Amino acid sequence: MISIDTPTNGIAASASVNRSSASRTQKIATPQVPIRRHKKSLIDNAIGRTVVQTLAVVIFFGVWELGVRVGLISSFMVGAPLSIFQALLRAAQSGMLWVDTGYTLFAALIGFVLGTVVGSAAGLALWYSPFVARVIEPFIVSINSVPKIAFAPIVVLWFGTGLVSKVALAVSLTAIIALVAAYEAAKDADPDLQALILTLGATKNDVFYKVVVPSTLPYIIATFRINIGFGLVGVVVGEFISSEKGLGHMIFTASSLYDLNTVWAGLFMLMAIGFVLYFAIDRIERALLPWKAQSVSSTLRV
Amino acid sequence: MQPVVQLSLRDVCKAFPTKAGQVDVLGGLSFDIHEKDFVSIIGPSGCGKSTVFNIIAGLLQPDAGSIIYRGEEVPNLRGKVGYMLQKDLLLPWRTVLDNVLLGPELQHKDPAEARDNAMEYLNTYGLAGFEHAYPRMLSGGMRQRVALIRTLINDPDIILLDEPFSALDYQTRLYLEGVLMEAVETFHKTVVLVTHDIDEAVALSKRVVVLGGRPSTVKAIHDIEIAARTPIGARADPRFSGYFNTLCSELDIQTQVRAA
Repeated sequence: MISIDTPTNGIAASASVNRSSASRTQKIATPQVPIRRHKKSLIDNAIGRTVVQTLAVVIFFGVWELGVRVGLISSFMVGAPLSIFQALLRAAQSGMLWVDTGYTLFAALIGFVLGTVVGSAAGLALWYSPFVARVIEPFIVSINSVPKIAFAPIVVLWFGTGLVSKVALAVSLTAIIALVAAYEAAKDADPDLQALILTLGATKNDVFYKVVVPSTLPYIIATFRINIGFGLVGVVVGEFISSEKGLGHMIFTASSLYDLNTVWAGLFMLMAIGFVLYFAIDRIERALLPWKAQSVSSTLRV
Repeated sequence: MQPVVQLSLRDVCKAFPTKAGQVDVLGGLSFDIHEKDFVSIIGPSGCGKSTVFNIIAGLLQPDAGSIIYRGEEVPNLRGKVGYMLQKDLLLPWRTVLDNVLLGPELQHKDPAEARDNAMEYLNTYGLAGFEHAYPRMLSGGMRQRVALIRTLINDPDIILLDEPFSALDYQTRLYLEGVLMEAVETFHKTVVLVTHDIDEAVALSKRVVVLGGRPSTVKAIHDIEIAARTPIGARADPRFSGYFNTLCSELDIQTQVRAA
């Protein structure tokens, strides 16, 4: 970290000039104390963590498989890791896995982007008019308090069984979250910064674009993480209700056939999608908020 | 030589509504600020120092009274003043250079010219090499220097300062006081400093306005006749402690916990 304030040295020097005549400098012998370094943990590094994580996964599936083999776990009710792997392989070879995954991923991404953009923009726009914001606040609260999943049957009725209804469900889940987050953050934008920029001759638009939007950006990006999950929820629920493709469709049909291994295969694919998207957002966050980048050296040792 | 009046406040009143009813903060405040003046406004806490400040800056509308700027009555001084608070108010998402360029950008000045100008200021105040750093990487003193440059680069007629150095350690503060005095002399600026620090007020100002009472009015205006124009030099002046004591007694500061 850079925090040296060189120019203050000038004052320190001039002050010490007055005193140096009165006081004599003394040399103090520094005792030889061995420098103790903090022990570096053997495990707490990138490789160590990966090893521990892999080990945990292997043990988990190993115990599961063993339990099935021994007969402690019912493979009919729970499935078995090796069979799940085979089900995944089969689906991958037939190509259906990629079609389903692609379909779900595509719908979730469109729903996420549309919902987040529309919601955030609407939330930010409410900053312009406290009157409108106050008028519509109870409506937002009441819409937000309904479990949006309950809209699913109507949405499917309105938009059919194709892609549009899945996207619409994902949008309905994500937009309101983005709206509330953006509006709350915009309301809290530092009034002192707004005052400062006003004295520099800013218009209301300047205040909005130069203070309100950048200061809400971290909060909007924080909702990305939540909304990527909700986007997937909306699409999968839509697929449960009626669909011909998608991971939700795959899981739903397999479970009605008691094919637990295929159900798990679909679930693990969903998990993989969520995982990849989460890290993609991490990257986006770093690119958009370079001023927020956390340095490791400044983290506290507790 | 008779000083020329730059800004006058005449019978400025301001009240704030609270749950308990109206609270009168300023009850008819009048004082003048001369061209190239350095005026400190001091007073007990809660006396409305910052309210005066915000009225001059154009962030608050007075309930009554008038503001006369160079002979003309104006509603406020937005765009003519530079403004610095205890908080540096740097935009954390902008680099040092972009923070400094905020004013020129808002006034739609030529970007290339403004950039050169900004770099010159940054060099002068020892911030060369930090132009692409974000504010959170800088020390408090450096951040306040950036804030000062951002104020100066707009070439404001009046610089308003509300306890700008009170969050800094004493050394940094002496240094920045020196920087400020020098900048004010070089660029011929008028400064209004709001502070609770009598020591700072005496060391820096040409005149000190003492507020008092409830609602506040101007209790006294003191001319500080200390020739030294550096913060350390002024504090070494034999008249320094005299002014200091006068102002202390004016503010009724009690140094003993209980009256004997």
